Amino acid sequence: MPFALTAPGRHGAVLAAVNRQAEAEGLAPGMRLADARALLPRLAAAEARPAEDRRGLERLALWCNRFTPCCAVDSADGLLLDIAGADHLFGGEAAMAAEVEARIAGLGFEARTGLADTPGAAWALARFGREGNRIAAPGDTAAALGPLPVEALRIAPEDARLLRRLGLATIGAVDALPRPSLARRFNCGEWSDTVLERLDRALGRRPDPVASLPPPPACLARLAFPEPLIDLAGLEAALARLVEDLSASLERDGLGARELALLFCRVDGGAAERGVSTARATRDGAHLRRLFEGKIETVDPGFGIDAMALHAVRAEPLAHEQFRLAEGGRGSNEPGPLIDRLQARLGEGSVSRLAPVASHLPERAERRMAPGREGEAWPVRPGLPQRPFRLFDRPEPVEVIAELPDGPPALFTWRRLRRRIARAEGPERIEPEWWTGGSDDDPRDYYRVEDAEGRRYWLYRAGLYRDAGGKGPPRWYIHGLYG
Amino acid sequence: MLPVCPRKDPAGLAALRRRIALLERRTAVADPAGGGAVEAWRLGLDALDAALPEGGLAPGGLHEAAGAASGDGPAAGAFLAALLARIRRRDGRGAVLVCQSRTSPFGRLYGPGWRDLGFEPADLLLLSARRDRDVAWAMEEGLRSASLAAVLGEVESLDFTLSRRLALAARESLTPALLLRRDGLGPASAAFSRWRVAAAAGRPAPFDDAAPGLPCWHLELLRCRGGRPATCDVEWNRETADFGMAAALADRPAAPRAAARHPALARAAG
Repeated sequence: MPFALTAPGRHGAVLAAVNRQAEAEGLAPGMRLADARALLPRLAAAEARPAEDRRGLERLALWCNRFTPCCAVDSADGLLLDIAGADHLFGGEAAMAAEVEARIAGLGFEARTGLADTPGAAWALARFGREGNRIAAPGDTAAALGPLPVEALRIAPEDARLLRRLGLATIGAVDALPRPSLARRFNCGEWSDTVLERLDRALGRRPDPVASLPPPPACLARLAFPEPLIDLAGLEAALARLVEDLSASLERDGLGARELALLFCRVDGGAAERGVSTARATRDGAHLRRLFEGKIETVDPGFGIDAMALHAVRAEPLAHEQFRLAEGGRGSNEPGPLIDRLQARLGEGSVSRLAPVASHLPERAERRMAPGREGEAWPVRPGLPQRPFRLFDRPEPVEVIAELPDGPPALFTWRRLRRRIARAEGPERIEPEWWTGGSDDDPRDYYRVEDAEGRRYWLYRAGLYRDAGGKGPPRWYIHGLYG
Repeated sequence: MLPVCPRKDPAGLAALRRRIALLERRTAVADPAGGGAVEAWRLGLDALDAALPEGGLAPGGLHEAAGAASGDGPAAGAFLAALLARIRRRDGRGAVLVCQSRTSPFGRLYGPGWRDLGFEPADLLLLSARRDRDVAWAMEEGLRSASLAAVLGEVESLDFTLSRRLALAARESLTPALLLRRDGLGPASAAFSRWRVAAAAGRPAPFDDAAPGLPCWHLELLRCRGGRPATCDVEWNRETADFGMAAALADRPAAPRAAARHPALARAAG
């Protein structure tokens, strides 16, 4: 059944991708859908969804963590795997490439692998290399790339056309040219896209910064199962082993984990990732295991999970600790592990500390900060008006009866209750902070008031009576409550 | 054990009392470091301390407070913050975990306000959870970790089982657990003590008769294991971290004024 995916083009839908049968009938990407239908009336077509393709590719990249911890989506149709140091686990480079292809084929995709010293060369070999010839031996990149067409350099199409017009069809031919003339003739566009730069990167003469590749984790532990696991108990046992391995290697390197990722690879190509972070560097196995409590349950095992990996994504140096025989009493332990447990279950950012901010505006006088570090001490302000115990994020409007123009309120209505004020202190004038751009705001006059029952409120009047001009009369708000 | 004559041997009497308390599992506990029972935790106000067993609150216990009316929630919260400030003054440093469910009708906790009540906000670990169950879970974790000076929670309501869990965790770790309930102390609970707090009109500020002075609360000790119910109007002095008798009672000629004493003296005498 010939099939094609279409994308909107300038003059109607254009084929974006075709399957083998359609290709055999003479269709190719780039044709207009109307032309293709004329050639082949039984062509089935559907709209391409690049965003979902991308998501699928990202899922596949996650799944590829079974091979190596450094995996990333490369271009619209490729994955980049850094297998340095991982190939011996699969019996060498050729065996690993074969296994990658076979496993991805098992998921129902067609995959070609190219393997070389540089990402550029691997890209070229995977797309343009001939069958059985897609692995470049270490240090042999130039020879492997030589016979490939110039398009394999990943250069702009017009550059490739120009090279071909000049009679330079292969990378080897381009490489044989004197470099100055190459640089002079192809110097348009982005520097990183020029022919010379691409050539140098592919051949390893220049570093190729691959932004898409995540940095390798500081430490990792991995486990592949002969039989896929479905039940929770098995996964928990596997996690226990992974944590044990990871904390052993962290200890060997003198590190403690700050951020961990637990990866699950399913037999059907699905993958899942669960992350936790810690407030302080740690490698305490029991603590790390507890952080993942309740997280494994949320992973859908599908038809089974056949590989798991635990990455210490971020780690910090951690000195060896003195083993303590007796735990001290209350308050002697660090709250770090507690913070981790709370955040692992209730979500990142659910625990915080308060830090002072030097601002006169009450709502800006404090900020939340990460709980890991010891908080900075708050300055005392002897003699200044007291601040309320609770503050409303949004001051609530109240109706106030007060003496004009500057008298304290005598009566106010808040939440439908009328409260008679027995005592009041104020006003405390707080001007808007013009240096932060809020100079259009009204100045506020704060009053600390106590009603007849002894409850205390923090009221303010926004605006002044005298320049009521365009803004209308001042408005009253309640901003906080005293205990 | 030999019989003890209370008049001749006050120390022996105290030891006996402690022993009975241990048997009754009230203060619960042998201190892991010292081996003896942990000292009860005084409020520093004779009228209240006399109503409490051993002259103070059990350090490893769950203590609940609620506002007497719907508008008294902040007063109950501030009373608990004042208790925290007293714990802090007794024990020195250590973080305090404050757990809240996200929706409070009375706004959020405000750092400068805590400072003005006498508690250093840098020592607060704030936790916001969605549900009361999560708050209870977090409080229990905090208590069991034995790494905190105290745990304070604010919930809508809490059923008996959860409060029992909290009480047990507090007793094991000897960490005080304070709970602010918005339901006005509804159903039964396993708390060691339960307080109902209402705002009360206090004295004016010392130099300005029109301005509000020290915070003043009407406290009702509804229930306390081994103690007896009591009622008292107290003032909170943040400078000395002391409760004092409120004006109406304190100005009576015959009544002793605990607040007037120097805090160190008050402790020595108490």
